[in-house]
Amino acid sequence: MRDPLNKRLGKQLREELGKYTIIFLFFVMMIGATSGFIVSDTGMIDAYNESFEKYSIEDGNLEFMLKPEDSVLEDIEKDGGIKLYENYYKDEETDSFDSTLRIYGERSEIDRLCIWEGELPSAKNDIALDRLYAKNHSLKPGSSFQVSGRTLNVCGIVAFTDYSALYESPTDLMFDNDMFGVGAMTDEGFEAFNDDHLHYSYSWMYDKSPANDSEAQDMSEELVKTVSEKAMLQNFIPAYSNQAIHFAGNDLHNDRTSMLTFLYITMVILAFIFVVTTESTIAKEASVIGTLRASGYTKLEMIRHYMKLPMYTLLAASVVGNVIGYTLLEKYMAAAYLGSYSLTTYEVSFNADAFLLTTVIPFVIMFVINLTALARKLSLSPLKFLRRDLSRGQKKKAFRLNTGIGIMTRFRLRIFFQNIPGYIVIIFGIILGYSILFFGLMFEPMLDNFKEETLNNMIADNIYVLRMPVETDDQNAEKAAMLSLETTFEKYKAEDVSVYGIADDSKFVKIDHGKGVSISTAMMNKYGLEKGDRLKLTEKYSDKDYEFTITGSYDYPASIAIFMDLDSFCETFELDDGYFNIYFSDDKLEDIDERLIMSRITEEDMTKTSRQMTRSMGSIMNVFKWFGVAMFVMVIYLLAKLIIEKNAQSISMTKILGYYDREINGLYVHTTTIVALLSMLCTLPLVDFLIGAIFKMVFMNYSGYFAYETDLTVMLKCLIIGIVSYSLVAFVLNRSVKKIPLAEALKNAE
Amino acid sequence: MFLELSQIKRAFGEGESRVEVLKGIDLKIEKGEFCVLLGPSGSGKSTLLNIIGGIDTADSGYISINGEKTADMNEKALTRYRRKHLGYIFQMYNLIPNLNIKENVEVGAYLSDSPLEVDELLKTLGLYEHRHKLPNQLSGGQQQRTAIGRALVKNPDILLCDEPTGALDYKTSKEILALIDDVHNKYGTTVIMVTHNDAIKNMADRVVKLRDGMIRSDRLNETKLTVDELEW
Repeated sequence: MRDPLNKRLGKQLREELGKYTIIFLFFVMMIGATSGFIVSDTGMIDAYNESFEKYSIEDGNLEFMLKPEDSVLEDIEKDGGIKLYENYYKDEETDSFDSTLRIYGERSEIDRLCIWEGELPSAKNDIALDRLYAKNHSLKPGSSFQVSGRTLNVCGIVAFTDYSALYESPTDLMFDNDMFGVGAMTDEGFEAFNDDHLHYSYSWMYDKSPANDSEAQDMSEELVKTVSEKAMLQNFIPAYSNQAIHFAGNDLHNDRTSMLTFLYITMVILAFIFVVTTESTIAKEASVIGTLRASGYTKLEMIRHYMKLPMYTLLAASVVGNVIGYTLLEKYMAAAYLGSYSLTTYEVSFNADAFLLTTVIPFVIMFVINLTALARKLSLSPLKFLRRDLSRGQKKKAFRLNTGIGIMTRFRLRIFFQNIPGYIVIIFGIILGYSILFFGLMFEPMLDNFKEETLNNMIADNIYVLRMPVETDDQNAEKAAMLSLETTFEKYKAEDVSVYGIADDSKFVKIDHGKGVSISTAMMNKYGLEKGDRLKLTEKYSDKDYEFTITGSYDYPASIAIFMDLDSFCETFELDDGYFNIYFSDDKLEDIDERLIMSRITEEDMTKTSRQMTRSMGSIMNVFKWFGVAMFVMVIYLLAKLIIEKNAQSISMTKILGYYDREINGLYVHTTTIVALLSMLCTLPLVDFLIGAIFKMVFMNYSGYFAYETDLTVMLKCLIIGIVSYSLVAFVLNRSVKKIPLAEALKNAE
Repeated sequence: MFLELSQIKRAFGEGESRVEVLKGIDLKIEKGEFCVLLGPSGSGKSTLLNIIGGIDTADSGYISINGEKTADMNEKALTRYRRKHLGYIFQMYNLIPNLNIKENVEVGAYLSDSPLEVDELLKTLGLYEHRHKLPNQLSGGQQQRTAIGRALVKNPDILLCDEPTGALDYKTSKEILALIDDVHNKYGTTVIMVTHNDAIKNMADRVVKLRDGMIRSDRLNETKLTVDELEW
């Protein structure tokens, strides 16, 4: 026989249709977004993981200062247990638009290309371009553009498997798919460019592949010794530490974790909303439950009954959410990644993992929380239900409030204390909603601020890094020296540090180093260093360590760098007196041979982090803003409405007594208003702190430094959006109070 | 006439399930009168009381208090009418569960420009030592006394009592009736009490008997008894 209690489900659903509709929509939104995300993410991760073998992605690459002899290469291969593949490239400036294009020759054995559109180059002026770079400059197969005076024809759109994130240099904080791109030409086409910007780059594959990153690290440490004994190294980048290869993969994995964490936190909050609301329903239906229990219905049957609506709601939302996730949202989610990373082609298929993660686990969370709470609530005796006494143990006593306080204020306080569990869930909802909102709002001003700070604190408009010391006639240029060392902090992975030797009385870097070094504010903040600390750095491709005493800081917010006077620099690194390899100059130095310039660091280079982050995250931030507001409104509305429903009889009674609606709102809605507003005010610094901590943790793994700074306007915007959202909720709540009939108070007399 | 009801009709439901609960009630009550509305279940007495109290509205007919018709009042004026003139006592007390006893009474006092002194009233009601307790810590009789305190503290013109002893035992019922009678005598409050207990009619000035939504008799009680003398 069918459970006769099922007939009550329809009635309960009708009575609380608003609540169930809102929760259903939120479930759909969460499950749809997460399943869409996981499906596309899994497709991309699978394709990404397969690409290592499918396209023979290198185990690392190295660059020699000078073209090595074949015998040297053979020695390295033999002693290092590797096979080297020539992978020369030339960094050319585009004429049609402002960017650096890294051009490679043909790649047939290693780091092979994945074709998205068109074909690989066959003619001298053909070029296959990275998909994102091409998109950002509106290039497609058939387009032409100018590079270093040559007209190149785009023949294909491809993914460079060793550039899934377009990092120009491994020391860059962020990739850049606008000002930097990669392309492949035929060997003939490649050689037709002059050799001014030629890099003697080789990719390597181990004869015996490392089993994991730790083994890869050990093997690369051995290899770098072997190679540096035989030739002058310019660069040495094992694949495991190459951001251009691993950043996208790591991001795909990390985002998956973040998204699922977010889903589960939301599910827990929604489960608690169900618990609070179901408990309120149980209180309302206490006498019915008592009668049913007394008539022979078991506790389990009652638990099952009250769990049905929440679980059915989730079940229905799971079906709808998964359908939407697979059909509509998958493309949207994929677009976010394809707009940032140069990934290979991928396929979407039914994904059991996605189903488990986005449907089964939330179902279990909801089931366990509801079951635990209901089992506890429904364990009371039938008699207690019949007497509408749902307290455990002794009857609850009223604590005393100072009678000097007016009755209306005491009334509000009593409402507050009565609803503390609901308010706690509201506070958590506000924190979660705020975090999402905050995240959505903070990036734009933070990136602007970062850009402004970086530009304001640039050492010079141009920093010329030279291949060898060369004189200039420009009187305004200032000589300095620079080299790269690596950090040796135990807790953090090694990262490049630019060490500058600055001339006395420098007009570009005004700093008193004393007997030690000054470190950039970026380095100071990132690693929590202080004046007086000792700093140990190591040479990248040898075991040689250097120790410095920090005597000050220099306002340089974007780079991990240390500054010392030029004489000490030469002495420390055993260089000849008067050595220099960089120029600081506000002018472009026209009289230096291009071939002697290794790189020129300009405003564009310094601001590419903020530029790329704006491009990568801009559109998704709007989604965060709206989602934050939705979360905010939903949690406050559901729980505040519950407080009103729970007190419907008291509200009705106060109406009978002759209280005006505004007075009743003053009691029941304003108490929630005060809690909501205070929570909004008080939790903002907490949210700021939490986001800051997460932000710092995430960026600790990145090279360079990106300061977490909260703009006051972000706080204000959050607060204003919070207040406006709440005003909307309060308006609806006021109407709910107005709608409670006077006859409600008579119900328990029936 | 202080309170006048004319041709009050009220029906519930629609179509075949429509039930006429009040079929045209005419009633006049003098200021300071103690009126008992007596009748069996379903006679329409509680509905009538709810209409007098502005909790429910009549389908037709009118009520006037001191010459002012409640039908002419908007919602706000109707609230003001309840606020200034009425005190309500229910069978199931309807106290606010999260307020203590004193606060429940103070909720009534807040509405009046000249409320009675709350502590004095609590002492009179025998509730002073329980003033810090929550309603669920008190017996039914004590809760009903609290409800009476809440109704009386604002010194209403009319006290509407809907089966005030319906949930109480004999002894407690008599205590409550005595209390209402005292208030009536002391403050000259007009009392309209709904009951199905035939014995209670003997303490009233006027006894109105209802059956099937109609007044079957409306008479002044010439031989009033004290509460002590009531027996059932």
